[in-house]
Amino acid sequence: MKNFFFVAAGILFWVIATAVVSAQLQPVPATAPEIFKQFAANVVKIEVVETGSAAKASVGTGFRADARGRIVTNYHVVSKLIHSPERYRIDVTDESGQTAPATVLGVDVVYDLAVLSAGGPAKSFLSFEPKPVEQGTRLYSLGHPRDLGLTIVEGTYNGLLKHTLYPKVHFTGSLNPGMSGGPTLTHGGKVVGVNVATEGEQISFLVPAERALALLERTAKQESAPAGGFLAEVGRQIHANQARYLDGMFAKPAPSVILGPYSLPTKPTDFFRCWADAVRRKELPYVVVTHDCSTDDNIFVSSEQSSGIVRFYHQLLSTAELNPAQFFTLYSSQVQAGNAAMFGNEEEVTPFRCQTRNVQSVSGKFKAVLCARQYVKLPGLYDAVLRGATLGARNVGVVTTLSLSGASFENVQLLSRRYMEAIQWRR
Amino acid sequence: MAPLGYLEIIDAKGHVAERVRIDEFPITIGRAYGNHVVVDDPYVCPRHAAIEPDGQGRVIARDLDSVNGIHIRAGGKQVADLEVGSGAEFRIGRTWMRYRSVEHPLPPTLVDREGGESRLASAYALAGAGVLLIAVLCLDSYLSAVERVTAAKIVSEPLTTVVMLLIWCGAWALASRIVVGRFHFSPHAVIASGALIAVFMTNTAAEWTEFLFPIIPALRIAGILGTGVVLAAMLYGHLRFASMMRRSSRLWSALAVSVAVVGASWIWDYAGRSKFSNVMEFTGIVKPLDAALLPAVDIERFVDNSQKLKTDLDALAQKAKASQP
Repeated sequence: MKNFFFVAAGILFWVIATAVVSAQLQPVPATAPEIFKQFAANVVKIEVVETGSAAKASVGTGFRADARGRIVTNYHVVSKLIHSPERYRIDVTDESGQTAPATVLGVDVVYDLAVLSAGGPAKSFLSFEPKPVEQGTRLYSLGHPRDLGLTIVEGTYNGLLKHTLYPKVHFTGSLNPGMSGGPTLTHGGKVVGVNVATEGEQISFLVPAERALALLERTAKQESAPAGGFLAEVGRQIHANQARYLDGMFAKPAPSVILGPYSLPTKPTDFFRCWADAVRRKELPYVVVTHDCSTDDNIFVSSEQSSGIVRFYHQLLSTAELNPAQFFTLYSSQVQAGNAAMFGNEEEVTPFRCQTRNVQSVSGKFKAVLCARQYVKLPGLYDAVLRGATLGARNVGVVTTLSLSGASFENVQLLSRRYMEAIQWRR
Repeated sequence: MAPLGYLEIIDAKGHVAERVRIDEFPITIGRAYGNHVVVDDPYVCPRHAAIEPDGQGRVIARDLDSVNGIHIRAGGKQVADLEVGSGAEFRIGRTWMRYRSVEHPLPPTLVDREGGESRLASAYALAGAGVLLIAVLCLDSYLSAVERVTAAKIVSEPLTTVVMLLIWCGAWALASRIVVGRFHFSPHAVIASGALIAVFMTNTAAEWTEFLFPIIPALRIAGILGTGVVLAAMLYGHLRFASMMRRSSRLWSALAVSVAVVGASWIWDYAGRSKFSNVMEFTGIVKPLDAALLPAVDIERFVDNSQKLKTDLDALAQKAKASQP
């Protein structure tokens, strides 16, 4: 009898629990279908077509953003055309299946946005959300994931990223390739942001709506490509951007971190994130302590090239067991490590050229290597890697590396100087 | 009685294969056993030619109505008779020969500086070179060990090198045995060990040079020139024991092979270099040295120097841009 009671109670509990859980899993009442029905007509598929073969080279999404019928999308959706306007054209297909050719009116390479025009004035368009959105608000993202047809994805608004120089909306929902350039809407159908990137597992990012609005306003009078084409415009924007965000970086007094006897630069601004770790394994007769800082404002230039990242890292090597010759064999290999191939092809970048010297600073001497390459299509912009390795000690040393991408040579020189001056140690 | 002269049969390599003493004129040459000089050559007639004075103080070779005649070296022309007293080579059938009078002038006697048993062949030299090489290899293995290692590991690492060296010396010894009749293993081993030690020393010197003066591409220079010189010296030494060549021809052969090897590696390097690469090429060699002894430039100078880097890159970018459609 007692057993029967327990079994009955168990069954009852299970039934209630199942009911509660399934109630929680039920979708929010039918707003997604309504939003789709109401706003899908303003969302278009954007295809970049290779004119030679008349086949599409890439697919993205865009949306009509004003009465003139102008379309907002991502720069990276149309970047192939920007780089080789003679080889590609853009086709825009709306919900009814009608296709029209499009022209680029403006780009914002830093925020990854582009404005296009296709056909005449729009019967309807999407407007931008003027009010701030609360964290946790339900959002609806529209786009063409992997060219599988227009799709709606639900997710939540999780504020602006705090560690980046340029604001990005953190959208918790599954964006997929092809949805780039599509709108993410509130319940009321107002655009909160433009789909731009994903880091998988529902971590996705949107360009804030006001950036798209700013580009629309800036290009309101634009009818055709600017002087020198859009590629020159991209170069000017990256140039202006690097001048802005590198300004003052590593200037004295620079924040520093102490690693062994060394004082080294760390987190120069809020938009850097730093990580540290150490390798202290019993079987190894030495210890490696690493400190790694990087920005997270990657600029998409082309599918083969990205720009805008500043990264620096320190590796402190020390030993109590190895003799100086052995330690310096290890140290030399660490100094040379990582000079392996970098990303980039012959059309976009020159090969690297390097300069190596032993350098005297206020604290002592170190080996310095500066390697740089130039962007072929965007003159005046360089990638550079500066590596320093402190000298003079017998069983300890630090290898430090600063890498810049898409910087002017003046900034490469200025930041190299400041960075080297910031490496200090007690003797 | 003193001989009047000699008839010399020349082999394919130009060496004297047979020397026949001439005590009286005329002498006859042919395949038949009745001749003074019997030649086993199916293209030679039983009585082919005769050698005799012509009465005017000259010695001539005369064709005895043979099928294939007498041919001279220059132009391969067929002649009925030929003045041979000056030592000119001639051919009957397919056999080359020449007449040598007893007054034929000789080159001066060579001074033999390398005769007798070489010092490199002594047991002391072999032991010395072997011990030095193994010591150098073990030291290198020990100083470049960056993990905890046992003595056995440090000793075992150079073993591969030693085995390769023994194979190399074995090949040279075999060549020596074939060409000069003796193995000469010991001097070959001493020479190869010496070369290996020299390569090690050159490389170490280049590493230090490049560390002290990064502006000098010492490793690349040592890689090409150093290797070339050591290779030439090693070949010169090996040939001393594996051939009968004279000094000068040994030197030229060694240099020619060494230049060919260095040239080939340079071409290889150049062919690889002309392709586009994203690799940053620098040598980050650092050495344990008191900082006071290290030549250095200040930060300002380093940064100013980088202007040259920019000039190079601008030129590269221009070139790349020009080559694009």
